[in-house]
Amino acid sequence: MKRNSLNLVLNAHMPFVRHPEYPRFLEEDWLFEAIGETYLPLLRMLRKLRDENVPFRLTLSISPTLCSMLADPVLQGRFTDFLHLHQELGEKEVKRCSEEEPECLEMAQFYLDQINTNLQEYFELYQCNILGGFLDLEESGHLELITTAATHTYLPLYSEYPSAINAQVELAVQSHVNHFKKRPKGFWLPECGYYPNLEEYLQKEEFEYFQLSAQSLILSEDKVQRGSYAPVSCPNGVHAFARDYHLTSLVWSNSEGYPADVDYREFYRDIGYDLPFDYIEPYIHSPNVRVFTGFKYYAITGNGNEKRFYDITKAQEKVIKHAKNFLYTVKEKGNKIGDLLDRDPFYTVAFDAELFGHWWFEGINWLETLFRLAADDKEIVFETGSDYLKRHPENQILQPAYSSWGDGGYSNVWANGSNVWAYKHIHKAIERMEELAIRFPDQSSLKQRFLNQAAREVLLAMSSDWPFIIHNGTNVTYATNRLKEHLGNFNLVYENMCKNAVNTEWLVKAEKRNILFPDIDYNVFNLDSERNRYNG
Amino acid sequence: MCLSPLLGQPFIDGVGLMIAPNIEAMSLGELRYLAFKQGLTKAYSWEREELIDALIELYEELDIEISEGGDSYSTSAQHRYMNSLIEHFSEDTYANLPGIEDLPDNYPETKINLLFKDPYWAHAYWNICPADIQKLDQAYEKYSLFLRVQIHRTKDGKLDAESFEIEIDKCDTSWNVNLIERGRQYSISLNYRDKEGNSGMLSQSEQIETPKCYWNDNLDELNDEKTFTLLFSSLVTKGGQLVESPMLREIVERLDQQIGGSK
Repeated sequence: MKRNSLNLVLNAHMPFVRHPEYPRFLEEDWLFEAIGETYLPLLRMLRKLRDENVPFRLTLSISPTLCSMLADPVLQGRFTDFLHLHQELGEKEVKRCSEEEPECLEMAQFYLDQINTNLQEYFELYQCNILGGFLDLEESGHLELITTAATHTYLPLYSEYPSAINAQVELAVQSHVNHFKKRPKGFWLPECGYYPNLEEYLQKEEFEYFQLSAQSLILSEDKVQRGSYAPVSCPNGVHAFARDYHLTSLVWSNSEGYPADVDYREFYRDIGYDLPFDYIEPYIHSPNVRVFTGFKYYAITGNGNEKRFYDITKAQEKVIKHAKNFLYTVKEKGNKIGDLLDRDPFYTVAFDAELFGHWWFEGINWLETLFRLAADDKEIVFETGSDYLKRHPENQILQPAYSSWGDGGYSNVWANGSNVWAYKHIHKAIERMEELAIRFPDQSSLKQRFLNQAAREVLLAMSSDWPFIIHNGTNVTYATNRLKEHLGNFNLVYENMCKNAVNTEWLVKAEKRNILFPDIDYNVFNLDSERNRYNG
Repeated sequence: MCLSPLLGQPFIDGVGLMIAPNIEAMSLGELRYLAFKQGLTKAYSWEREELIDALIELYEELDIEISEGGDSYSTSAQHRYMNSLIEHFSEDTYANLPGIEDLPDNYPETKINLLFKDPYWAHAYWNICPADIQKLDQAYEKYSLFLRVQIHRTKDGKLDAESFEIEIDKCDTSWNVNLIERGRQYSISLNYRDKEGNSGMLSQSEQIETPKCYWNDNLDELNDEKTFTLLFSSLVTKGGQLVESPMLREIVERLDQQIGGSK
């Protein structure tokens, strides 16, 4: 009998968005929706499984920008405002549906209950910082928490800038240690973006492994021995796990994935658009900007506009069917390839965490069902990357190939006609940051703060989210403005430092606005100083 | 309408462009709201088909790709950070901190960079320092700029290089460069040439390397069914769709041809 090991990896990430200067800010809702619809329900589900002694192992990457926002008292306060506002809407919806739209009442009540539970747990269980909830699950041996690049940078486009890659990796570790009090073993490569020798930076920070896109091993210059069914050891000893595209696409595919099932909830039909303006106005954004509210009552149904009301029981039946199908597919795959391997297969399936609950409403139920079914199945076991490396420390030595999980498998999503203009400025900012770190080493007081803020601004400009959003055509203006803001901020420091001056007014405001990485040391951009530090 | 300085596309003041997941799947209310926000002021009196036609026409004019079919749940595009069907950009765009200026058009250094995008394409971008332009203007009555792409390879144990040139305008600042061969190093230089044909180099990029795949040179081994299954069973969807990768597609196509040829 084959033992099929599943390495389920979720990447929880949000770009750093924080605008307390406004009473409400549209893009801050990205975070609030993710907390309310993914992170809190995920924690709830995992705690329930633990309480019921259902075995499971899961790897979760929490990005440093997300950690910073989840731990920020300002955003914590604004999230509770968000919850209270939606609680009020939920109460109104329960009343409205019971009187006017009884078909929607069950779901309206469901949403209200979820908001009430979120509120209660957020305050009482987590004291407004859910990072503690994830840490608790790691300490009980159920989660493996890993990190990713400091601002979730798509790293291959910075391969010529070692100081910037080094800063992204070093600050990621620093952030993880600050929040979780231990060094992470795994590194989530943002967007699975890899270029050969990137692992040198990971080795320096003592990472054991990272994940890759599906095609990275087969496209190597070397002959891969076990396909994607076992990790490889890069020549420097850091391990790489390739994502199984076949299994991943069962979930993450717009044409074949489970979330596209007609009985699942339709994401895009939301009362934010469907109900009269007078009714919905307090819960959307001013001035008169309709947005998704999270109250959605329809099933996907089909491609047209005629939608059936969502039936929670029917959807739950599909969840069970899809979880069974996933495990069946894994076992069938194991039977097919098992004899071709000299050890039991290991499958890495990796997703954005926010797919579950937020985009795919039933996704967290699906995960729960998966873990429950697997608990009674001797052929399936959930393991993390480091679990596997304990069992199999020796693996084929192979240099993976340049790759990403983006469209086309390389860098085209993050460098195309819409967004490639940014690199001229970001690369220049990195060069100038290196120059500042070399010209003004080990400063103290105001100059140190000024230079530290410059380093923050460069790192924020490097975030993969801005080119991604510009490419996807969603919040293009916001992403463009953010890029220009961080680069403009950096240029201000550079020009001031060239005149040996510090703009204190700007500094105080910038430190308040972009508060992440409180322990940043701009000297990280001086690789010589870094080497000296490491050498003793 | 005015022209967005950021997008180079028209939009209505104070509202944004539609982020349409699937226009056919939208409710009448959604369609009316979207159309109204796009400046179609009679939208609230129109019926569904009229609205769809008008929106399609509008977006065709703007050369924006919209989905008219397929399922509305689209994850292959990895939707993230989206809480509205309309991109909104007026009041919510925040003010910069004091003293912040627009990004410069030019930096005071002359430099060319070559960014690897995929095994077939690289993106070159450059900046010419205004002082260097002034020097060229003063030194030469007439001159032109060109890029020289160098392909480095090892042939019979010796380092060999060949190059080709791309004529550019003085106002160009970037160029997509086709990478012809796998397993080669490429670099690019920015050059000028005077009317007598004398040339000089302004800047040269670092080298990038196009990847080389083992299976490209050992395709025959993939004819073994076990090897093929082991390698490709994790790379296709249940419907048989191969993971997106031009190099992988090339391997599969060559394999198909080989199998077809042997039949």
